Formats: sequence, structure tokens, C-alpha cells
Amino acid sequence: MEIKRRDFLKLLSGASGAVALGTYGCSDIIDVPEKLIELAQKGPGIVTWTNTICGQCSAGCGIKIRRIDGIPVYIKGNPTYPVNRGGMCPSGHSSLEVLFNPDRVKEPLKRIGLKESGKWDSISWNDALQLIADKMIELRNVGKPHQVAFLDGSDQPGLMNKHIAQFMKAYGSPNYYQSGQLKNNTAPYRLLQGINQLPSYDLLNSKYILSFGSNFLEEGYSPIYYTKIYSHLRDSSEHGRTRIVQIDSRISLTAANADLWIPIRPGTYGALALGIAFVLIREKLFDDNFIKNYSFGFNDWTDNKGITHLGFRSNVISNYYPEQVSKITGVPAETILKIARDLGNSRSSVVLGDQGTVDNTNGTFSQMAVHSLNALLGNFGKDGGVYFVDLPPLADLPPFDEDEIAALGNSKKPVAQSLDTNYPLADFSIDSFTKNILNDDPYPIDILFLYKGNPLFKTLNHHDFAETLKKIPLVVSFDPFITETSEYADIILPDHTFLEKWDKFCNTPTVGFTHVGIQQPVIEPLFSTRNAADVIIELSNKIDQSVANALPFQSYENEIRFSVEKLYNSGEGAIISEGVKSSWLEYLQQRGWQIGRYNSFDEFWKLLTRNGGWWNPIRQTKDYKELFKTPSGKFEFYSQNFANIINKLIETTGGESPENREKVLHSLNISVRGDKVFLPHYEAVPIEENMPLYFITFKLLTNRDGQSSNQPMMQEMFGYTVREYWNSWVEINPETAQEYGIEDKKDVWIESPIGSIKVRARLNPGIMKEVVAVPFGLGHTSYGRYAKGYGTNPITILKNKYDMINGNPALQATKVKISLAT
Amino acid sequence: MNKLFVITIILLSFGSILFAQELKLPSNPLDGRIVFEEKGCIVCHSISGYGGTKGPDLAREQYYGSFLELASIIWNHIPAMNRKFRELHIKRPRFSEKEMQDLIFFIYYLRYLGEPGSVSNGKKLLSSKGCTNCHKIAGHGSNIAPDFTELGEYSSPLYMAQIMWNHGPSMQKRMKELNIPYPVLTGDNLNDITAYIRQVSSVSTELRMSPGNPLNGKLIFENKGCTNCHQVSGGKKKTGPNLSELNLNKSVTEIAAQMWDHSPTMIEYMQEKSLTYPMFKGNEMADLIAYLYFLGFEDPPGDPSKGETVFEEKGCITCHDGGAGPDLTKIKPFNSRIQILQRMWNHASKMEDLLLIQNNKWPQLTTEEIRNLYAYLTSIIQKK
Repeated sequence: MEIKRRDFLKLLSGASGAVALGTYGCSDIIDVPEKLIELAQKGPGIVTWTNTICGQCSAGCGIKIRRIDGIPVYIKGNPTYPVNRGGMCPSGHSSLEVLFNPDRVKEPLKRIGLKESGKWDSISWNDALQLIADKMIELRNVGKPHQVAFLDGSDQPGLMNKHIAQFMKAYGSPNYYQSGQLKNNTAPYRLLQGINQLPSYDLLNSKYILSFGSNFLEEGYSPIYYTKIYSHLRDSSEHGRTRIVQIDSRISLTAANADLWIPIRPGTYGALALGIAFVLIREKLFDDNFIKNYSFGFNDWTDNKGITHLGFRSNVISNYYPEQVSKITGVPAETILKIARDLGNSRSSVVLGDQGTVDNTNGTFSQMAVHSLNALLGNFGKDGGVYFVDLPPLADLPPFDEDEIAALGNSKKPVAQSLDTNYPLADFSIDSFTKNILNDDPYPIDILFLYKGNPLFKTLNHHDFAETLKKIPLVVSFDPFITETSEYADIILPDHTFLEKWDKFCNTPTVGFTHVGIQQPVIEPLFSTRNAADVIIELSNKIDQSVANALPFQSYENEIRFSVEKLYNSGEGAIISEGVKSSWLEYLQQRGWQIGRYNSFDEFWKLLTRNGGWWNPIRQTKDYKELFKTPSGKFEFYSQNFANIINKLIETTGGESPENREKVLHSLNISVRGDKVFLPHYEAVPIEENMPLYFITFKLLTNRDGQSSNQPMMQEMFGYTVREYWNSWVEINPETAQEYGIEDKKDVWIESPIGSIKVRARLNPGIMKEVVAVPFGLGHTSYGRYAKGYGTNPITILKNKYDMINGNPALQATKVKISLAT
Repeated sequence: MNKLFVITIILLSFGSILFAQELKLPSNPLDGRIVFEEKGCIVCHSISGYGGTKGPDLAREQYYGSFLELASIIWNHIPAMNRKFRELHIKRPRFSEKEMQDLIFFIYYLRYLGEPGSVSNGKKLLSSKGCTNCHKIAGHGSNIAPDFTELGEYSSPLYMAQIMWNHGPSMQKRMKELNIPYPVLTGDNLNDITAYIRQVSSVSTELRMSPGNPLNGKLIFENKGCTNCHQVSGGKKKTGPNLSELNLNKSVTEIAAQMWDHSPTMIEYMQEKSLTYPMFKGNEMADLIAYLYFLGFEDPPGDPSKGETVFEEKGCITCHDGGAGPDLTKIKPFNSRIQILQRMWNHASKMEDLLLIQNNKWPQLTTEEIRNLYAYLTSIIQKK
């Protein structure tokens, strides 16, 4: 249906809270059940506040919900929750629009007719679960439990991923995947440090922050956490202002707030990092002690067979001098010299990389090059440097006995693992997943569960992934809305919205302290929906006792309680509360005190749920042995781990021979040869010569991954920087626009080798002349009245290219041409 | 002498009347840390290194004394602090009564919280105090008593003290049987020992207590029968020492060590008299010691005649006796003694300016002077 924007604006300008619910409850804008409207109009008007965790993205901000007579009417940041300290993004702020969204799936649905037909019939919870359980039992009975896959798009560390993994393992399938990029993004650290974790950066104590494409204020794992740090840095002038230098192809929110923006050609971040390394080395601005004692492969070295290998220093000095790097990156040589000198002479200084660096075919190598700068500066475990946060002391789920069927199923090769040499460091590759299922190789998939993430909207190879969904006989979605992905489901088991459910989150990636957040219901479920976690417990009970034994909890809430009881017993950290800052915690803990007062676990739990979470900001000093779990026990500029991986691939594809080695390296898109393969190096991105412009996408705080498209307020605010609302646009440099005869606010065609999109041109001097950029998030073909049909999805014209090492989609590896739409 | 100073003195005088009232103990003296941060005290002052360096660190094993002693310190450093505010362009904070109360309790409480132990000293102490005659640790020592390495969960100092206290009678009996001398603990011994145990411990769980609740501690003191032998604040003389007269201005583990050291005499006495030995659980020992520590917060009475001299010598009389000062009898009564300090603080800025304009110096008041001044003003007001 068509949205009447006037109605929406009327709602916004009208009264808030319960009055708004009472007035507009039956309108098309929000959908509030009758009983709540009645309560809102006639209730005593008692106000309460409840703390919980936002579920709009994986950042897991602490929030406070204002309720009138138990009805949520307003959301604000929880000022004591350490991740966001009272801050909130607009999407979280307006997430009541998710709870009261008129397009929610209100009961279990069963598809009628063909997939994507959009025709659904209701089905009872019991019938739906029995139908699924019967199919699963059937597969187990014929020894094929591995033919069930579970795709979890939450990308959120917490309990749910463990819960699903436990269920899948007990059932007998190795095919549980978190489809986000979190684990894949750890590839550079696995190679250089042997650590399967993203680092955190001590920005508060750093004097110089050099960011390679990391749009941490908008696209980071927790933009609000970084915004708080940023505002602190800008507020403190006592010891000199921290300088922030942002390297990016366009002026992102972070670049706009930095002291210096350095434009760079997409896909060349690694080369620039190595150019900076060149200056640090030549001018002896590196940490000599760290390099000598705690690094491996910096200088040329000789192995135990007497063969001499190329070191990082020699490679950088020979190949990455500023003039050469300038040609690759478009960054002037003088600028490279200046950044490197500033970096090397500002202690502490720290280097971070994300989005621009990692979202490309050479992402892993580029991030290795960027992270190598931290090694040159000896930044590990140092104030103002890089560190790795400890896991919270939570209980693991109880061990269980895997039965024979499950053991056999779990021994099968995971279906998302490449059958050739591709993506050797991918925890999950959507490319392999799609190809293998379409080819029934190594086996078919009969049942697919989908939890969060809407992968079809985000995937590069839209067509093949849609075919995959069509091919699988039973697709079960837990989506609370009908998304592009769940259009292909056979059954939808609608999850609660995050305001109606229990969950537990911990350690938002890159956030600099150990923490746990408790999400709890702030209202009874509005409709016949269920927490997906509870549904999994119910399913396990229906399938087999051996599966049920793995999740011996009456409810997911009980499971959360079980998990956090160890926190209580640990005596570490503190439940978040006013005035509990890291300094106090450390002060008291050093003296053997704990800050909270709880005489029993029940008391602890009560306080934990009342305040919203627990944290331990005390950073344990880590030995270098803990930081560098590499074969040498040191930071490896020359990655022996990677050498071992390549050797293993060669071995599995016919054994060592120059031809096989060549074949493997070629399949991984690695153009260098010899020792350079294992050193941080620059790999050129394969591009189309006949296309003149780089095409990149970016995310906005209002709609980071497309999930907020069904919130009218977020549509109303979508392009707040350029005043484009409910619509997409393309950023074009004015000089480029002039060259193509394009004027501001005129429609243009963007044509890539695989398709075209029409969007509105917005001229912007804050983008490189050779680059055009379209925001991600709009262009839905489903997902309800507020999302469907608004804007354009730029992913649809991106080439199906990936980082061949970790399997991440290459979002900045497509070139295009543009023309005025007539 | 200006009017504001006189007002302040009047405020002080009213405080002295109320000072005779029973001390109101805080339930959580740590609440003041929020005031300490939010009002910006932390910008200049640090707590064991956490905070600014412009002013003194408030927690380097320092005991600042009773309420009036603290009031005297704060009063005397107001001009210097005001200069610092101006130099750093910091807005001078104002306090509500509750905020001032929380802040004072917090500063007073810091000494109680103690300091971190020394691992190396702890290792030496375990041997020199004869602990390893019975206990084993890190593979060394005897097997008579539990292995400390496995008792790591009790390695927070006060938890250890509580367990030692509870096992006191049986432990002493066994020590006598084995002819092992009773270990006397002094100073930070307990802190150091537990710091070492914590380092060598293999257990992942560590039980800690919350900083004590003096209000709860008072109930424990009464309910555990301590009042059978000990008096506090001038009550009827009893067999045991008057705890108000003991020097308990120490950290919690020092007080715990003092309790430990007197336990053999106490156990013997209690056995003779068939009294029940008090056992502690949960947070009780921390609470009890917090109560004992707060006994030092109360001030002894001052001398009115000496106070009259102070009143004259410090120039209070200039304004107050027919001068610009207000009529003492018309001063709005105070809700609590904390309100005196709060009003002093909030008006001090204007008073400083007036003194400067009149070329008068800030009147420095020692604790003794302030105490006697209270007594004197109280007597005047009572006469009126």
C-alpha cells in the first residue's frame, strides 16, 4: 500500500507515548493491539523504566524503556551501560516502530503455492513444529542429519550462537554458520598473531589515530561507543588534542570529523600502509626493541634448511617507496611522508583499518599491511595501542553425549567449506555455500533454518542464492517480518521483537572491555510469536531425547541464568551502576573488594536484570606469549601460519610441484610469488578497464544494514547529510559530473558489467573524482510497506567477487560508467 | 571581620548543638564517589593515583580524622582551592546537603578500604609467621592444614580474615597441641599474605566482600554479643576495652589483624565464662569493622572557655558583637551537622572576596580551635 507521508509526519508532530498509541493505534502507521489502546486510554498512567539491550544491530547498546501502564512508549540510552553510556543511534531510538510495526508476522505461516508467490496460510505452532521435527527425525533416521543447515545472520557474540551450535551438534549437523563477517574478519590476526579475535584500540590514550577506511563513527561494530570516545577526545585539551587522520575514498562521517581526510583510490589501502612502513623503517621511527625481540620475519632470515627468505624490511624498501605507492593509491608522496613522520613521532599512536581496507578482494592482505604498522610501532599491550579483550567468565553450556547418528553427521565436511582451494581462512563463505548446495556437492541440503540477517538482500550473487533457497525442500525462517529471504521460506516461525524477548550479549567486537548485556522483555508478546531460542528447545524435545539432553533448560531465560551464574561466582567485575567506572573497579579489586553487594545468585540476577548488564573494565596485562600464538611465538611479519596453509592446500591438490603451487596461488588471486606471498603486500584488485569509475557503497547510521528500512522514522531521516529521504542517491564529484554533463538532483544511470541502476545524482566535493558511491540499505523488494519499493539496492550491480582468503564480499571491487538518465 | 565569616561561625555554632546527637551512620559510604567525580573533585585530587594531580592524593594511607577534623581541613584549604579553580577555569562546585554528606563519608572511608598487598612480602610472611608449619602453598609447607593454593577463592584479605576468625578456636587448640606459636599479625600482613596466595592460586573463582556497611555493622556488633564485653562512646565500663578509645583509624585488614591478635585472650575468656564465640558469615566482618572504623568519625566535646578565646582572637567578635553579623538567635536551624559544612562551603567564595576587599586574611582554624569554637558558640546560644 502507499504510505501517506502526511499521516506519518502528523504522528511525529503529535503527542508522544500512550496518547499517540491511543490516537494512532489503529492507523496504517503503527499497529497496536486493541487491548493496549484501551489500556493507554483508560489506565492509571503509572510510569516505569526498564533496562534492556537494543537488538537493532550487533552493537548491543544498553537502553532504558519508559513504560506507561506497562506499555513501552519511549526509548533512550542507558547512561550507566558502558558501551554506549546513554548514547543511542536513531534506529534504536525509534525501534518502537518495530514493535508496533503493521507488517509483523503475527503467527506461524505456511507457504501455499510456489516459493516467492507471496501466498501464506496460518498454521498452529504445534503443527508447524511437528512438521519440522518430523522431517528432521526422518533425516536422522536415514543417517543424514548433516543435510540440515542453519544460517544465523545475527553476527552477535552472546548466548544465541552457542545455543544454536549446541542444538546442531546434538542433532548431528556441522552446518551451523554465522553469516556475518565477524569471524572472517579475524583472518589477518590469525596470520600475523595466531589469534582468532579482533583487536581493540586504546583510542582514549592515543595521541594520533590513523584510520585506514575504518568509518568507526558510523559503520563500526559499535558506532555509539566510538562516538562517545570521539567526543571525549574532542573534549579533552589538557594534554594536547588527539589527532585523527582518516584515509577514505569519500568523506565519511568519520572523515568529516577527523583532523585530516586523505582521499585514496579504492582497493589500495594496503599499498599506502606499506608506503608508510617504508618511511618508518628508513627514518628509524619503529620500535627497535619490539622488532628485535618480539617479531619474526622483519629482516631476511634463514630457515633450518639453510634457505634464505625475504624479510618485511627488504620487501618494503624495494617495492613500496612513496613515489611508487603514490602511483598506486593516488595519495601524493609528500602526504605519505608527512603521515608516516607524524605517526612515528606521536607516541602513542595507533593504526586501525576496516571497511575500505577489508571490503575488497585484497582485504586480508591489506589489513595485514595496516596491522603491521602497529607492530612497527610496538603497540601491543601498550597504553594508546592495541589490545585484546578477555572473555567474560560465563558458564559454557553443559556437555552432552553425542549419539552415533550425530557423531556421523558431524564428521561430514561442512557444506559452506570450499571444495577447491578457495577461501582457506573463511569461517563462512556465502559463495561456497551457494555453489555447493546448487551442485548437491558434497551432499544436498534438505532443511535450512534462517535466523536474522536477511542474507538475500545483502548477498552479491543474488540470483544464485535465490536459486539455492528455491532448491532446498524445507526452508524455515524465524523472521518477525517477511523479508526478501523469507519470501523463499516454506514455514515462518515468527520470532519476538527484541523488546519482547530474553537474550544475552557479550563483548561487542572491538569494544575495549569485557561486558555482558541482558536483554529482557519489556512487554508481553503482542502476537502469537515465540523466542527463536525457545523454539529450538521445543524442537530438540520433539526430535530425540539425545538432542533434548543438549539443551536441558525449561526456557531460554533459564539458560541465560545458568550461563551468568558463573559471573556471580567469579567475583570479578561488577554489575553496571552509576559511578562504577573502571578506575573504581580497579581500585577496589586490587584491594580484594567487590563493588556490588549480593548475598545470593538470586540477588545478583535481580540486580543484573534491573541494571541491564555487567562489566569488567580491568585490562589484564598479557604476556607476549598470549598475544602471539604463532609458530615462532612472535608477531610474524612473515606468516608461517599462512605458509603452512598454502603448503597444505598444495598437498591436498596433488602435492608439491611448481605447477601445483602456481595453480593454488592463482586460484587465490595472489599475483606475487616466492616469499612475498607470506608477507603483508599489496595485491591489485582485478578491475574492468573499460569502466572509468570506481563504485563503492557505504552505510549510514540511520539504516546500517538495511534492517531499519521498515521504520518510517529511519526512512524519513535516511540521507540526513544530503537531505535525501525515502530514496537513494549517488555521490559524484562536481568535476566528474561536469565531465558527464550531470547536474545535481538529476537521475543518472549507473552501469556495471552485470547490470544498471537509476539513482539521483548528488554532487559532492567530498568524494574522489574517480569514485561514485551509493548508500546501502534501501531498495527492498519485500520487508513491509515502509521498505518495499523505496530507493535502490547498490549490491545488485556489484560483481560477484570476494576476498579469496577469507571469503568476504568485495564491496569496492566493481567499476562502472555513468550517464544522465533521460 | 566581614559578615560572611560571622555567618559561618554562627553556622558552626548551631552545628555544635546538634553534634551531641547520636552519630548517623551511612549505609554505603562509597556513594560519595559519584559526588567526587561529578562535582569535579577528581579533576584535581586522585584516589591512589586515579584522578588529577593538581591537589593531593586523598588515599595514600592517609587518615584525615573525625568529621570536625575533616571540616577544618576543608575550611582551611578553601582559598587555595578557589585559586586553583580560577587558574584551571573550573566552575566552583556547589553541594546539596546530601552531596556534602556523601562526600565527607567517602573521604573518611578511604583509609578503611586499605591498600593492595605486596606479593613478595606475603611470601616471606607465610614462612616467617609460621603459616607453612601447617599449611602448604605452591608445593611448599606442611599438610596439617588446608593447602592455600587450593583455597584461592578465599584470597581476598577480608574473606581470609573472616575464615581465620571463624576457625580461631579450633585452630588455636590444634596449635597448642602441636606446640606451634600463635602468629601475631600487624599492619598490612594480611593484605600481603593474601596477595601472594592470590598469585599462586589455581582456582578461577575468588570470593570477595563488598566494602562494609557501618549501619549494618552496628547491628552485628549488638547482635553478636560484642556489647557484653565492649563499650563504645562513653557507655558503662565493661570487661573489654572501650572501642571508642582504641586507635581504630586503620584500614580494614589492619583492624581485622588487631581482632585476630586479641582473639586468643578473648577465646580463653569466653570459654571461662561459657560465652558463645561469635561467628561471621557473608559480609558481616566487613560491616562490623566499618562500624568500628566509623567510631572515629565522632568528635569529643570542646572547651567553651578556650572557644571564647578563639572567637576573640580570630576576629569573629568584630562583626558579631554589634557589628555587621546577623543575630544568632534568628539563624535558620540546621537539619544536620553536615549542613553546616555545606553552607560554609557554598558561601565561602563570596566570603573570600569580601575578606580580600577588606584586606583581611582567611581565618585558619585548627581542629582544636574549631572544636572549642563549637563548644563556646553552643554555650552562648544556650544562654540566649
